[in-house]
Amino acid sequence: MSTPEASARPPRSSRYYRPRRPISLAVLVFGLVLGIAGGLYVAWVVAPVEEVDTAPWQLNRQGQADYVAAVMLAYGHDSDLSRAVTRLLELRIAGDPIQYVAELACDLARTGTVAEPGGDRAIRAMMTFYQLQGRTGCADQLMPAAPVPSVTPNLAIAATPTLPPPPTKTPTPDGFSEGPTATPTVRVAPTVAPQQAFVIVRLERFCDADFPALIEVYVQQTGGAPLPGQRVRARWSDGESVFVTGVKPGRGADFADFEMSPDLAYTVDMPGLSDPSEPVVSAGCIDAAGRQTRASYRVVFRPAF
Amino acid sequence: MLRFLVSLGLGALLGLGVGLYLGWVQFPLEYINSPISALDPKYRDEYTVMVAQGFQDDADSVAAIQRLRVLGIENVPEYVFGQAERYITNSRSPVEIQALIALSEGLGRTSPLFEPYRPPVGSTP
Repeated sequence: MSTPEASARPPRSSRYYRPRRPISLAVLVFGLVLGIAGGLYVAWVVAPVEEVDTAPWQLNRQGQADYVAAVMLAYGHDSDLSRAVTRLLELRIAGDPIQYVAELACDLARTGTVAEPGGDRAIRAMMTFYQLQGRTGCADQLMPAAPVPSVTPNLAIAATPTLPPPPTKTPTPDGFSEGPTATPTVRVAPTVAPQQAFVIVRLERFCDADFPALIEVYVQQTGGAPLPGQRVRARWSDGESVFVTGVKPGRGADFADFEMSPDLAYTVDMPGLSDPSEPVVSAGCIDAAGRQTRASYRVVFRPAF
Repeated sequence: MLRFLVSLGLGALLGLGVGLYLGWVQFPLEYINSPISALDPKYRDEYTVMVAQGFQDDADSVAAIQRLRVLGIENVPEYVFGQAERYITNSRSPVEIQALIALSEGLGRTSPLFEPYRPPVGSTP
């Protein structure tokens, strides 16, 4: 029989008799959760991993369009369907990748891509690709039919029969007599053109209704002194024009200009002496006097060294 | 109180480590809507080759420059020339090398290294 004092005492197994752990498990778990949340915040928001290995599927809409256009150009070159589809699969498109090309061609045909350098060809390459796989898209209606090259009739001119030529009196070499020896074929390695002799030090767009849609070119020495007689070339998608500095009266010995056609992209270079400029397009603009006109460009070449 | 702070600090430290590992290694942030200029070098090379193959068909250097400028390249001829040389050095596919050579020369840059890869005179492409 126990006394009242003995019954008031907690039993020996009670936690009040156990020594306290130095760490509270509940608080530790709480801290762990807080730490994980903080770590994820730092890793995803404050200091996320840098973007260095972007794959095609991560590209934005414009980037994917550029990538698909390149895939279609390559397909137009090698006709390797398997390779083209494999490349399209890199975009991780939900659904039919070939139909995606049809929809993309439709979008591009609706926008100004057709007018961009090579835009028309890229869309047509896409159309060829999806049409060959039995798909259709709105680009089929939006894009005018490609010009069909006219077939020149192959006029076969009947050859006039001629007699075989008579044997000449050239002695057949017997292999022992001294005679002219055959000249060995000399293989000449091509020399590297003097590229980068000139560089573009300035390329600027300006808008002046008195000088619309011009490429004004200045070729100068390092210090700015004019260099007359220098050949400059403007190239566009299907042609080029070469002009010379210093032949325009009253415009300086370093000056030459070229008139641009609307909405056509041009590059400017000095043939064999410089790299081409970035493409320039004469789009509409309003000059300082408020007059509607087309943009012009000023390009200055100077020696690279 | 000290017991509480020690537990919380220890848990937070452990959690921070776990969170950083998860966020940086196991489930790193994946970007979408990236510009094409951020492409992985492997895909940039492939893109350039595809553009070069297009150039082999249309010889449109303006369009080729335009297509490559989206990669954020300042000097397109230099870039193509460098890739052509690199492909030759690394013995990559002759078909790809020929495409890059055609584009590089179309942009005005050539090299004696290119000579063995030119198609023989008179051969059809």
